[in-house]
Amino acid sequence: MTPCNRFMSSLTRRALLRQSACGFASLGLAAMSGGPSRGQSIALAEAGGSGHGGILPHLRQRAKRVIFLFMWGGPSHVDLFDPKPLLKRYGGQTVPSEIWKHGAAPGGVLLGSPFRFRKHGDSGTEISELFPHLAQHADRLCVIRSMHTDGSAHGEALLNLHTGSSSLVRPSVGAWVSYGLGGESENLPAFISISPPRGHGGVQNYGAAFLPAMHQAMAIGAAEIPIQKARVSNLSNSVLARDPQREQLGLIQALNREHLKQAVSDQGIDGLISSYELAFRMQSSIPQIMGLEDETAETLKLYGVDEEPVNNFARQCLLARKFAESGVRYIQVSTDYTWDHHTGNNTGLVKECSQVDRPIAGLLTDLDRRGLLDETLVIWGSEFGRTPTVENGDGRNHHPAAFSVWMAGGGVKGGLTYGATDDFGFHPVENGMHMHDLHATLLYALGLDHRRLTYRYAGRDFRLTDVHGVVAEELFS
Amino acid sequence: MIQGCFLLVAKGIGDDTVSDQGGLRGEVLIESKQIGSRQMTSYRLAMSWVLGLVIFSVVVRADEAVDAVGQRFYETHVRPVLAQRCYACHSEKAGKREGGLLLDQAAEWRRGGERGPAVVPGDPDRSLLIQAVRYADSDFSMPPTEKLSDEDIAHLESWVRMGAAAPEGRYESEIAAPSDPIAGKTHWAMHPLVIMGVPEVVDDRWSRGAIDRFLLKKLESRGLSPAGDAAPEQLLRRVCFQLTGLPATFEQRQRFLADPGLPALERLVDELLSTPQFGQRWGRHWLDLARYSDSNGLDENFLFREAWRYRNWVIDAVNADMPFDRFLLEQLAGDLLPFETMEQRDRQRVAAGFLVVGPKVLLGVNPDRQRMDVADEQLETIGRVVLGQTPGCARCHDHKFDPIPTADYYAMVGILTSTTVMQQRYMLGEQRVMERLAGLGDHGEEANSAYEKYWRERPGLKQEVDSVKAALDLLKGSDSAGLAQKIRDDAESFAAGALDEVQPISERIAAQETFLKEMQDRYDKPPGIPPRAMVPADGETMRDEAIRRAGKFDDQAEVIPRGFLRVLMDGEVSGITATQSGRRELAAWLTNPQGRAGMLTARVQANRIWHHLMGNGIVRTVDNFGRTGEVPSHPELLDYLAGRLIDSRWSMKALIREIILSRAFGMSSQFAEASHAVDPDNRLFWRANRRRLDPESLRDAMLSAAGILELQQMESTVSYLGDQATAVGSNPVRRRTDYQCRSVYLPVIRNDLPELFDVFDFANPHMATGARPRTNVPTQGLYLLNDPMVMSTAEFTAKRILAETGECSNEARVEYLFRLITGGAPGENERRLVLEYLAEVSRLENSAGTSEITLNAWTRTCHAVFASSRFQYLD
Repeated sequence: MTPCNRFMSSLTRRALLRQSACGFASLGLAAMSGGPSRGQSIALAEAGGSGHGGILPHLRQRAKRVIFLFMWGGPSHVDLFDPKPLLKRYGGQTVPSEIWKHGAAPGGVLLGSPFRFRKHGDSGTEISELFPHLAQHADRLCVIRSMHTDGSAHGEALLNLHTGSSSLVRPSVGAWVSYGLGGESENLPAFISISPPRGHGGVQNYGAAFLPAMHQAMAIGAAEIPIQKARVSNLSNSVLARDPQREQLGLIQALNREHLKQAVSDQGIDGLISSYELAFRMQSSIPQIMGLEDETAETLKLYGVDEEPVNNFARQCLLARKFAESGVRYIQVSTDYTWDHHTGNNTGLVKECSQVDRPIAGLLTDLDRRGLLDETLVIWGSEFGRTPTVENGDGRNHHPAAFSVWMAGGGVKGGLTYGATDDFGFHPVENGMHMHDLHATLLYALGLDHRRLTYRYAGRDFRLTDVHGVVAEELFS
Repeated sequence: MIQGCFLLVAKGIGDDTVSDQGGLRGEVLIESKQIGSRQMTSYRLAMSWVLGLVIFSVVVRADEAVDAVGQRFYETHVRPVLAQRCYACHSEKAGKREGGLLLDQAAEWRRGGERGPAVVPGDPDRSLLIQAVRYADSDFSMPPTEKLSDEDIAHLESWVRMGAAAPEGRYESEIAAPSDPIAGKTHWAMHPLVIMGVPEVVDDRWSRGAIDRFLLKKLESRGLSPAGDAAPEQLLRRVCFQLTGLPATFEQRQRFLADPGLPALERLVDELLSTPQFGQRWGRHWLDLARYSDSNGLDENFLFREAWRYRNWVIDAVNADMPFDRFLLEQLAGDLLPFETMEQRDRQRVAAGFLVVGPKVLLGVNPDRQRMDVADEQLETIGRVVLGQTPGCARCHDHKFDPIPTADYYAMVGILTSTTVMQQRYMLGEQRVMERLAGLGDHGEEANSAYEKYWRERPGLKQEVDSVKAALDLLKGSDSAGLAQKIRDDAESFAAGALDEVQPISERIAAQETFLKEMQDRYDKPPGIPPRAMVPADGETMRDEAIRRAGKFDDQAEVIPRGFLRVLMDGEVSGITATQSGRRELAAWLTNPQGRAGMLTARVQANRIWHHLMGNGIVRTVDNFGRTGEVPSHPELLDYLAGRLIDSRWSMKALIREIILSRAFGMSSQFAEASHAVDPDNRLFWRANRRRLDPESLRDAMLSAAGILELQQMESTVSYLGDQATAVGSNPVRRRTDYQCRSVYLPVIRNDLPELFDVFDFANPHMATGARPRTNVPTQGLYLLNDPMVMSTAEFTAKRILAETGECSNEARVEYLFRLITGGAPGENERRLVLEYLAEVSRLENSAGTSEITLNAWTRTCHAVFASSRFQYLD
């Protein structure tokens, strides 16, 4: 106990402690209300305002957290969630202009899907045979077939997906959510990205940009690193075991307190002392979560841990559940850069789907039986879809104009298939949903109004959706 | 005499803009009402000071100054009240002239309505307007619906007393649109510098010079007093880190502490300003603004192999104290400037790399859109960095807050779209649009062309090699028909000797083998990369840009001639010609000390220097001097500093020197309850701000304590990287950080910063950063507790201590350890804590029970002190 804080009211003291936890614990916008309006550094200095009884969420909170399953590269929508009988029928030909009802017919030779689609569950949601395990959850899924985005190159599209902008550096979706709601854990950050891509925007895809740095994701590994080899950097000491390190930290903290005694009431030093304690706690809390020792054999089997070809993604998904359970607000899981099927689309899809299908189904089951699915919004998606036309004989090219994503849990209507593309899957023809709309809808599920979640930077208020974004309220029950 | 009153009142009013807090205004107004004889004396002093300062090129005459401050006050406090509460019945726009009175034109209110003049400048009591709003006479109370607030009434009274300054002539009744560049001239930042004279303070013993008096005056007005002087050791450490980013050397320490007075401080400051380490620190401040990076970032993170030349140019220019106007000119237009030597030409070209190092979206973009995006990034950077403005906001619509209409945006963007920073180059197997490179030196262009040609032609060369090889196989084989066919179709793939059918076949084969080897060698041995740099050039055609509706690149409206922001112009012509982009003119406009833009440039830059030295700006939103930014806490001081910058011929070193030598810079950071209660954020600078070391200083100071830091300038630290700067797929090579050089030379790869930078709030190199974020997050703790670099540096430090302290006692070693790492002696408790820790670790290490303290124990201790706040913070 230091005598140095006697000038501070207990309220300030609490606020400071919370501030020093920095993005951990509940330091979201709610705790910063009234703060972040005057430029980035000052916003931070003013953080630690009014505690958790703040202004957020704006709206009814359907989901408390998000798990985003990112399929890096752009899986083909017409082979997975958007069946196109006509595409199959006219495979090898161009679009017959007599049956095309949307102006000039698109060029290129059509490639029909060889995969069988069946209606599943009570809802009859159509899912490709490539996702047999996922199909068992059909009545939980809300499939959006009318997605579209900007950017026909991966880098551009990834940035649009993750930050809403490719030409300017903007905070990522998870950073906005962290800023808006904070986290729920004393020992973990609010935003964690499991195996994020290093290319195509890299860090920017989970960065905080001009938001305070505390809202950036903690990255675990990278896309190309098997999750079993992934480490959070500097989470352990290569020389000192726990006890000697605790002892060393004792000296550090004693020196810090000496300094604080002279500095009197210095927020920086006080914050430093708290952040060391949290850092030390993280050294045990994170490995504890990342280790799967506490999980039952049955659970491991549910996801497919230690079984190929699903082992890697199974571990990633299980990790996502553990972080969700521990109070992390926004969790992203990324595959490696494996869905970019310019050639061998069909064989590629068989391989990639077989690696993620069972783990995803396992995740949904596991969340559900733990009572977490209702309050966790699970989103599956990618940066764009693929062309209905053929490329390189048996591949498909990038297709930002139309693709599919699905959501589950978090208050969405299960069994709903939303929006539609034309008969071949080129363009949305019903309930088109731009990436900005998806972002607005995601925030809506979390009780955040995308028009009101703003941050003042460089002279104006910024938001995730810029001046765009329409919430698809009809996706929620 | 009356004028003198105005000046003082105006000063009081100027103070008013300091704070948005309600309480302060009242005080200031009271002060302004009590103009006594003592203050008159001070006015005369101040006036004589102003007039005496002929060196100031930007001194505004006192009456102009009064007018300026008065008009600023009118725009801030008077016009909004009139517009909101009076115009409905008394303005041309409303078409109402109740009682014959208009309140939207100065001439009209002076003439007045049926009852007589509404405003008598200087005399509130005789002004009917004031009588009416006071609600003293129930028959003559305005506005009739509801009395104005006391605050508004006080503002109106002050304004009248000051002389009722307002723009003359007719003007819009309503408050002009925020983007109106004419009305915008009244925003404080757009105004010419107002040099008010150094204020008189009650207790002048504390002050050393003008800066101190400006600060002290304001402190006195709030009943505050400045903190005591920092301890000499603290001051030494502060000065050394601020100027060089390094701790004091032993010699500096000995010399300064022997007699730590002002002369010693001056000697120290002059010495540090002249070391190359000064540029390594202050150059980095500029590199934050220049969004310097060794890679493109964004979607395709290609390596900027040559960016380091620009980085080193900045460091050299700062070390040479290049005048700031020249510094800007070379960065904006170095490629267009005359030169006497090839070295000078190349230096200037490298400087202009400022325009090229920005991040750009490279793939999948329409070329027209890319051109507009690149220019937008450049304009926003220039606007923020030089003027503290956000012109980028006016790309799609008139600026919502600041006086920048869309037309002005496109006027400026035309300068940059008339400039090219991109070129077609062959890289990673295809023709791409990349950053523009130019060869350096006498034959730079030829070497560059030859190099590019090789890579462009390499795929063809490969085909040729294959074809020559095929010809050789035919010569060796038995397919004579095939051979004959090949000779007919493709004689070029054969060596001359191989075509000579008179020769025996073995000779022909030998000739072809020689030929193949030559070809193979040409293919296998690309020319080395010639010396080249990122350099812009004026484009092939100069273009005035059309306004783009809603910012859409392909939706053109009216064409706007190239030019500058009108809010910062008073009838000057841009001087831009049809044959050049206008970048030289842009630089001249930005640094013309007689123009509004040049004065704003000086303000912004002076504030940046203050921000770095004092811990916070006079305007804390250092990159935003617009209406959404903060107002200056000390407007007169800011203008004084800006004036000093201009009058020293834009010498950054001179201004830095003046600030460091002020008494204020040397204040202690000691907490004081009473002052804290009045000014918790230390906006009035009643004490020094305690600051955390930035990551560069943190690392450099550790390496320095270990005795392994190398000070010399580095060239490229990214040359080993492939064209993809970040590891992707098959490219596993990643930036290295295992150099012993100063941190300013470490690779700055966008999206892959050295972890130290990432963790400790380095500037995001995608965008201009004037003030780095200040966070306190656990990842920083994890880094200091566990990072291998920190640990090995601790070990080096421990070895050094043990080696250099020989047979000394452990107490003496601890003393040395603290001096080395924290720059000061340990306190009694600190010494005890460390000795106990050392003993405990050694006891555990040596289970045999020997009392020898091991290297291991010293290493852990050094590590702990590195991790302590004493090391990380500048008191």
